[in-house]
Parts: sequence; C-alpha cells; structure tokens
Amino acid sequence: MPTILKDIAAIAKGMSITFMEMFQPTVVENYPDGPGPLRGAKFQERYRGVHVLQRDENGLEKCVACFLCAAACPSNCIYIEAAENTEENRVSGAERYAKVYNIDYNRCIFCGYCVEACPTDAITHGHGFELATFNASSLVYRKEQMLAPIPAHIGANAVFNQAEVLGGAPAQVAPGE
Amino acid sequence: MATIYVDGKPHQVDAQQNLLHACLTLGFNLPYFCWHPALGSVGACRQCAVKQFRSPEDKHGRLVMACMTPASEGAQISIADPEAVAFRKGIIEGMMENHPHDCPVCDEGGECHLQDMTVMTGHDYRRYEFPKRTFRNQYLGPFVNHEMNRCIQCYRCVRFYREYAGGQDFNVFGIRNLAYFGRHEDGVLESEFAGNLDEVCPTGVFTDATHKHHYTRKWDMQFAPSICVHCGLGCNISPGERYGMLRRIVNRYHGDINGYFLCDRGRYGYEFVNSEQRIRQPQIRSNGQIQPVPKQQAIEEGGRFIASATTVIGIGSSRASLESNFALRMAVGANHFFAGASTQELQLLHLTLEILRTTPVASLRDVEDSDAVLVLGEDVSNYAPRMALSLRQSVRQQPFAMTDKLKIPRWLDHAVREAAQEHKGPLFMATVAATRLDDVATDTYRGAPDEIARLGYAVARTLDPEAAGLRATTASGSLAGQIVRAVRAVTGLGKPPSGAPDADFETMAQRIAQALNGAERPLVISGLGCRSGPVLKAAANVVRALQRNGKPARIALAVPECNSLGLAMLGAKPFEEALAVAREHSGTTAIMLENDLYRQAPGSDVDVFLRSANHLIALDHLQNRTTATAELTFPAATFAESDGTLVNNEGRAQRFFQALTPQEIQESWRWLRDIFVAAGRREFSAWKTLDDVIQSLVSEFPDLAQVAEAAPAASFRMAGEKIPRQPHRYSGRTAMLANINVSEPKPPDDPDSSLSYSMEGNPDQPPAALIPFAWAGGWNSYQAWNKFQEEIAGPLRGGNPGVRLFQPPAQAGEYFQDAPKRFQPREGEWLVVPLYHVFGSEELSILSPGVKQLSPKPYIAMNDEHAKGAGLQAEDMVELAIGGASYRAALQIRPDLPVGIAGVPVGVDLFAGIQLPAWSKIERVS
Ligand code: SF4
Ligand code: SF4
Ligand code: SF4
Ligand code: SF4
Ligand code: FES
Repeated sequence: MPTILKDIAAIAKGMSITFMEMFQPTVVENYPDGPGPLRGAKFQERYRGVHVLQRDENGLEKCVACFLCAAACPSNCIYIEAAENTEENRVSGAERYAKVYNIDYNRCIFCGYCVEACPTDAITHGHGFELATFNASSLVYRKEQMLAPIPAHIGANAVFNQAEVLGGAPAQVAPGE
Repeated sequence: MATIYVDGKPHQVDAQQNLLHACLTLGFNLPYFCWHPALGSVGACRQCAVKQFRSPEDKHGRLVMACMTPASEGAQISIADPEAVAFRKGIIEGMMENHPHDCPVCDEGGECHLQDMTVMTGHDYRRYEFPKRTFRNQYLGPFVNHEMNRCIQCYRCVRFYREYAGGQDFNVFGIRNLAYFGRHEDGVLESEFAGNLDEVCPTGVFTDATHKHHYTRKWDMQFAPSICVHCGLGCNISPGERYGMLRRIVNRYHGDINGYFLCDRGRYGYEFVNSEQRIRQPQIRSNGQIQPVPKQQAIEEGGRFIASATTVIGIGSSRASLESNFALRMAVGANHFFAGASTQELQLLHLTLEILRTTPVASLRDVEDSDAVLVLGEDVSNYAPRMALSLRQSVRQQPFAMTDKLKIPRWLDHAVREAAQEHKGPLFMATVAATRLDDVATDTYRGAPDEIARLGYAVARTLDPEAAGLRATTASGSLAGQIVRAVRAVTGLGKPPSGAPDADFETMAQRIAQALNGAERPLVISGLGCRSGPVLKAAANVVRALQRNGKPARIALAVPECNSLGLAMLGAKPFEEALAVAREHSGTTAIMLENDLYRQAPGSDVDVFLRSANHLIALDHLQNRTTATAELTFPAATFAESDGTLVNNEGRAQRFFQALTPQEIQESWRWLRDIFVAAGRREFSAWKTLDDVIQSLVSEFPDLAQVAEAAPAASFRMAGEKIPRQPHRYSGRTAMLANINVSEPKPPDDPDSSLSYSMEGNPDQPPAALIPFAWAGGWNSYQAWNKFQEEIAGPLRGGNPGVRLFQPPAQAGEYFQDAPKRFQPREGEWLVVPLYHVFGSEELSILSPGVKQLSPKPYIAMNDEHAKGAGLQAEDMVELAIGGASYRAALQIRPDLPVGIAGVPVGVDLFAGIQLPAWSKIERVS
C-alpha cells in the first residue's frame, strides 16, 4: 500500500514539472520558422560561422595576401593567389592583394585560427551557417562570396558587417561601383 | 684542433676559426647578423655575444663577440649565461626600434634571418613608441627589389657587393642612424652577382623582384634539388613551384661549386619555364597549320614517321640531359646520332675531354683557393659567370699568406683587408677583349686567339724548355738549332703584332711563368669561349709544364652549355655530317632533341637539312624557328619538370630533379621511348623509370658508369619513407585542387626519384644530392645551410653531390706540339670573334623578361683606330658577311679590341647560327 502511494507521489511530482514547463515561455529558438531575416536563429557574438573578408574605411580590401591564414589553417583548406596592386587597379591598401581567395568548407573546421593569424583583421568569422548542399563542390567558397560589400556610406560610421546580419554570402559589389 | 668549453662541456673545434664558427659547427644556436660564412667577421652587429671566462674559477667573465674571438685552446664560454642572453635580446630590441612592424607584407617573411634571430633571442614585445626612421627605396633593375626601411645596418650587402664581388656602383651613404645602402642614384645594379643580395641580406631590404610578380611564401613552395642549365658550370639550385608555376630559383649550397652564391643569369633566367611560348601539347603541322593533337595520336604518328623512314637521323642537344640524349642515340643508332653543334665545337669538346682526362681539374672551390692564375682566352664573367666570382677570391690567397705571417686570422675580414691593402695575388688575363675581371688582374694581354695561344705556349716553354715540342721533333739539325727555331716559332721574338697592347711578349711570358712557378696552387683557366683549339692546348701545356716542375697545378675549362661534355661523351657526331646524311639519303626522318638548329648552324645549312628530311620531329620546350618547321612537335620537359643527369665543365655528373608536374609535358626520353615503341621497337618499353635508362646507359658506356652514383636511386628510402619536396608548413593542400575534385586527389607518383610530391615523408636531413630546400628548426632562412654542413662553409654532410667522372692522372700528360703561327691582320678584312654577354648569350635565359631587358642590342664592334681608318663612326650601320649570310648592325667602338679583330655579340637573335671566328669585310650600308 505505502508503495502505491509513493509511486503516485513520484508520478505527480514528475507531471507537475511537465505541466509547469508547458506554461513557461519558449527557450528553444524557433528556427527556421521564426521572424526576421534570420528566421528565428540567434547567435552569440563569438559564434564562428562562414568567414567574412573585410574592407577598410576606404572600401579597399583589408587582405594583403600574406598567406598567414593559409599557413595557420590546420585543415589546409585556404587557397590564395596573390597579385600586385597597380595605380589603375588598387584592390587592397598594401602592395599585394588576394586575386583568388577560396575556402573549402568541406574541410573547414571553424577553428578560427585563420582569424587569429590575420595581421590586418581582414578575415573574420561571420554568422553565416546554412551551408548544407547536395553538391560538395559548391562548398568551395570564392572570395566574391565572402567579401563584405562596399558600404554605401564610406566613412567612420559605415556598417561593415552587413554580411553578418544577412547571414552569409552577400552580393559582390565591384570596387568603384 | 682545440678544446673549448661551452657552458662547461668540452668540444673539439678547429683552432683556426672563431668561436661563432665553432659554435655553429657544433650545432649550437647562436644568433648573428654581420658574420657570413663566406664573408668572415667584422664585429659590426654585436649580436653574437657570449660570456668568456678566464678559468673555471672565474665566475664573473666578460662579454665577447663570438665572431671576433678565436676558438683558442681551453677557451671557456657560455652561450646560456643570463647576462649574454639579456645582451643579445637587447641588441635585437635596438635593431627593431626602426624596423617596420609588417612582416606579413614583407617578401622576406617566413624565410627571414631577422625573424629567426628575433625569435631565437626571445625579444617579443616592442617598447619603443617613437617615430621610425624612413628611407626612399630605389629602382635597382629588373632583378633586385629594394625596401630600405627594413635595414638593420649589418653591412653584409656592401661587403658582399664591393669587397667580395667587386661591384662599384653600390655603397653605403650617410652617417649614424641614417646609413643608406644603395646606389648613388636609381638604376640597374651593374654586378652580375647582385642577385645574391637577396640571400646575403638578412632582412627584406633586397628581395627577388621577379618573384614579386608571382609571389609565394617559402613554406608554400614545392622544391626539388636541381642544377642550373644556363652555362656549363652546373651550379646547384633549388627551384620552387606553386600552383603549377615555377616561382623562383634560390641557391642550393654545394661546397665544391657554387658555395653560397649564384650568378644572376642562373638565378633569374628561370622565367622561360613559364613562358607564353611554351609548347604544352603535342602539335602537328598539316597544310601549314599547326594544331594540337592528343598525345596518343601524336605518338602513333611519330611511330609511323620512324617506321616508314629509310634512315632516322637524331640530333642530340647539349642542353638536354644525358638520359634523353642517350635514349635518342639508342633509338637512332650510333651512326646516325649527331649533335646540334658544328665540327669545330665538337672537336673542341673532344679536346677538352682529352685534357680533362689527363690533367688535374680544378673545381670552383679550387679556383677560389688558387694562389696564381693564368686565364687564357676566356671572358669568364660572361661565359662562366660564377667562376669569375671564385677568381676574385683567388687573388686574396697571396695576401692571406702575408697576413698569416702577421698572425691575423683569415676570418678577421677587415683586419685582413686592411693589412693587405691593394695587394693582390697574381691573376693574368689574356683575352681578346676587356673583361670585368681586369680590375683585379695583375696584368692583361689582349690579342687574337692565336696570339693568346702563343702566349700560353711561350709560358709553358719558359717553365719547361721541353714544352716547345723538341722531344717530338724528328727534323734534322742540331739540338741548339732546334731550340732556337722552337723559341722563335713560339715567341715570334720581339714585339707582338702591331696594334696589340704594348706589352713585351717575352717578358710577359716570363713574368707569368715566374708567378705560376712561385705559387703553391697554380691554376690555368681556359675554355671554348674563343673557340680555339690552340688556346686549349696552350693552357694544357702550361699546366703540364708546371706539373713537371713539381707543382700541384690544375686546369679549369669553361664549356658552352650545361651538358656539352655529356653530349660529347656520348659520341655525337657534328651537324655537318648529319647534313651530309640527309642529303645522301631520301626518305629520312629527322628527330631534333631540344635543339634550335638555327642557333647552332648557319641558316642556309639548316634550311637544306630541314628540307631534305622527309619527316621532321622536334622535341622542345618553347616554340622556335626549328619547331616551326617540324611536322610533329612534342612538349619536352625543362629542367624544372624532369629528372636527369648533366655533366659539368669539370666532368662532374650531377642529377637534377623535378619540381613541377605538368600534365602533358614529359621528359624527352619518355617521348622517344613512346615513339619508338609505337614504331615497333618493343625493347624500349623496358624503360619504365629514369633508373632503367641510367642502367642501360651505364652498361652501354662504361666510361659513364659512375653516373649511376650521382644521386641515390629512386628506391632509396629514409627509414622506409620518401623525402618530402614540400616544407611541413605547406598550406592549402586540400583546397588547391578543389576546382577539379573536392576529395583531395592523391599526389602524383614519382617513379623516378626518392622524393615525394608532398609534405609527408621523412623529416630528417636527406643525402646531399637530395636536399630540396634548406630548412632546419628555428632556421627558416638560407642560413639554415649551416645545419647541413659537416663544417660551416665546408662540404655538405656525407660529401658534396655529384661524382667526378675523371680521376686525376698520376703523372703529367704529353705536351701538345703545334703552336699556331703569329696572327696576321688582313687589309680590309677583320677576324670576327664571338663576344659574350652574361645576359643575352644563352639561349634559354634570354627568354626571361628581365634577362631580355638587360641583353645587348645587336652590334658589330671594332677598335677606334680601325674605324677611323675605314672612315666609320660609332652607330653607323655596318654589314659583315660570314658563311654566305650577311649580318647588319650598328657599329660599336671598342678601344679594347686588338687590331684586325672585330666582335659580335653571339646569342642575340641577329647573330644566331653564325660560325666564328671567321674573316669578313665590314662595310657601311646606308
Ligand atoms: S586574410 Fe589576413 S591572414 Fe589571410 S592572407 Fe589576407 S591578410 Fe593575410
Ligand atoms: S625583414 Fe624580416 S623581420 Fe623585417 S619585416 Fe621583413 S620579414 Fe619581418
Ligand atoms: S641592406 Fe641588408 S645587408 Fe645591407 S646593411 Fe641593411 S640589413 Fe644588412
Ligand atoms: S654560373 Fe652558370 S651554372 Fe652557375 S648560376 Fe650562373 S649560369 Fe648557372
Ligand atoms: S655576428 Fe658577431 S658581431 Fe655581428
């Protein structure tokens, strides 16, 4: 007899927690059915998503093609081809720029070593995360897919990390446009 | 030997050396800047400080500069002493005050001695917060880039450029904290060794300007041990590849040849490999149209050309590997194997071989160590450039003997130079025209090739009266009469031909003989430069005469191309004979191996040859006039894309290995194998790897047996593993081919060598012949070579690479007899001789943009008196006619040319195929 009472008490206790939780506000993010461009996804600032290649306050690419990120990358998935800036075609503020900058997201482990290695803060982790695809070759991202757009308003107040807000690949805007 | 104590432990070291040298040889990591293994010590940077103690009881000690302190018996030093450590760290901090903070945009980054030393001393935080000193950079030409802000004032560059390499147009300007290293104004650096500044400078002040255009970090390149193909010396190089492109060449240390330095032709001539004109696919010419064809089809077509031919003619090449030439010889048969070289050149090469087999031969290291030198006929700086740098050191040998007496150690560089002042050891330059070595020459003599030969014969006779040829004369007459006749015949008694510099021939010969005879290690240098057999023979006679006088004399002969001797050893016959065969037989097929015949023989002959052959097959790297006429062209691999063996001017067989792995391009021997197998010669299918070819080569040519030992065979493994071609930091491996396949493809196999196309493999030091690049823990720059040597600046561990094919003979060879007659200038005609240019005379390097930029425009040069006599002025358009062709160029006045002699720059397009020396009229054209 006392055993039955004990069991009932235990069930009641358990169910009371269940019923209590039913009336609590939702803590799980309502992704992908939430509101806004992120469809309910929320990120910690430090979240390491798809990389963003940043621009400086003049709209020039920050990357100077130093190859340090590629050297730091433990999965060897960063591919860079350097080219020289000229008077007519100035892409970065230094002597060289990355003519080709690919990251193979089949391999990238989002460790952030490249970001740490970058002396110019050119490469950062954005919050882009919807990378799934049926075709692995489309996971090789080109520079154009990772490059921050030229801010409409160039200057101290420009919003640089638009890509983060949009959650991934912004459209490429050619310099000078 | 001396015993020194480093941090309490005893070590055996060379007592003749300084403590820095000793510590580095022992493998200690002691930082340094101003000291360089080839340049010695000046104590300028204070970086190599160590603590020295008077006795084991001395606990206090004092700081000394290791590079300035002899490694004397019983010396007690401490590298780890806290005061020494702090001092070294402080020195770096001082240097860093003005040094930029931007390694990531510096071309030196990743292979920077300053970075290495900064890490080694532990200086890792900048406290200096004030403005930095800045400079303007200079344009120094197409090869060397200048970024003066990175300078740490170690003075290595000026010491190398001015003192070691004899350059004049570079110096240090300014005072105190504002020392500027550069030229007095912007302009191309004149020295052909300027490129070594890239490696000599411990920072990024001087870097490779050609590399800048396709920049890649050292850690990202795939390297291979290789051999320079731009002259006959066979300097060792380390080419670096990335993304299928050859990015740059750096020096690969070889203790007997190039040491720490290359010439700029060798360092910067590589860009032809990346040229737009490269043949990258088999091509067929039908109806005047050149079209690419698939590999298999081309091979079958080639097979048909061979199978249907009555005779197959093979033209070998002195710039192709021994293996490719051998494959051609086996395929076409010894009787139909020719060289793309004239009878004259082949005769000279055979004479060279004969001399090398019977005379002690000097390596470049020996050249450097010689204390009296006679140069006969060779414009060394332009023909065998790296040898000129060695010659510049040879004149220091006698002053060394003097400073040794003053007890100044040889490594104490500026004390030695101060004591020696302008005193230089004997170096006699007998050449047709002025050379860039004349400034260090004891005496110069200018004359026609025959006159130079006569000077040589006269020297030999002065050394040994028998050398004039008395023993072999069978003519009648008394001995005394013979002597008089011989002396007359040789010296011409009296003055040299009119117009030659006013040097008294006989006393000059005597002076040279005396200097050579008084030396401990005399040397004679000659070569094919003035294309004269008598000159070569005269050089050999001088060495033989010295040998008979009991001197350890040696000879060094320069040859035109990287494998000239290899081709001659394979018994190739001259081109003229190939022409005769082609004319005689109908229905022939000619195979041209890595040869632009138009550069080797007169155009009219080549036309006849190419026309009379029924089918033409060419194998080459780049499109040229010869490949343009070929019906079938195969893309032949360059030095950077293939493995093989080259025989250098001293008869040293050296193996080079592949750095690039192009798709359609393969070694000439592989193409030849495929074509001949397709033609039904099944036996060639046995050649699967390079070692198979070498095996057949060795069994066919017992002379060349040692070629197999030039480098370890492909089966060689280090602890079961291959040797990585890529540094362990190699990046981007998995992303590099993602455009082709996201699953990382397997790296290409290499059946031909024990090197792998990967960063994986045995990380230990490979045998000397297989070192792809210099890297050691904590030593990312070229200074890492310290870690590969038995002793600093000595041989590489396990011996320097390559094998000498000729053993020094036990006794002196026989004298050559036929001294030439005196040179007689002709009325209204000139003897046209070849003049060489380090940039411009070599076939492949001239296809690199920088070399092209520095190469001369075509000209015809003669003496000013002559020109006046003929009513000609500088820049007049003049014409000369040789071998049925006429050549038109602007007249250049060269006061240094002897009377009766005119010169043209060989190798530049206009003079392609010209056969020199030859007589010609020179006339003005409107
Ligand atoms: S992203 Fe940064 S680390 Fe990478 S190459 Fe560019 S500048 Fe260098
Ligand atoms: S010279 Fe060396 S230390 Fe100086 S910026 Fe260049 S890589 Fe860095
Ligand atoms: S330029 Fe280079 S080699 Fe010359 S003093 Fe400066 S750091 Fe030394
Ligand atoms: S001297 Fe000759 S072999 Fe040496 S680097 Fe120069 S061209 Fe090459
Ligand atoms: S290396 Fe010794 S003082 Fe510079």
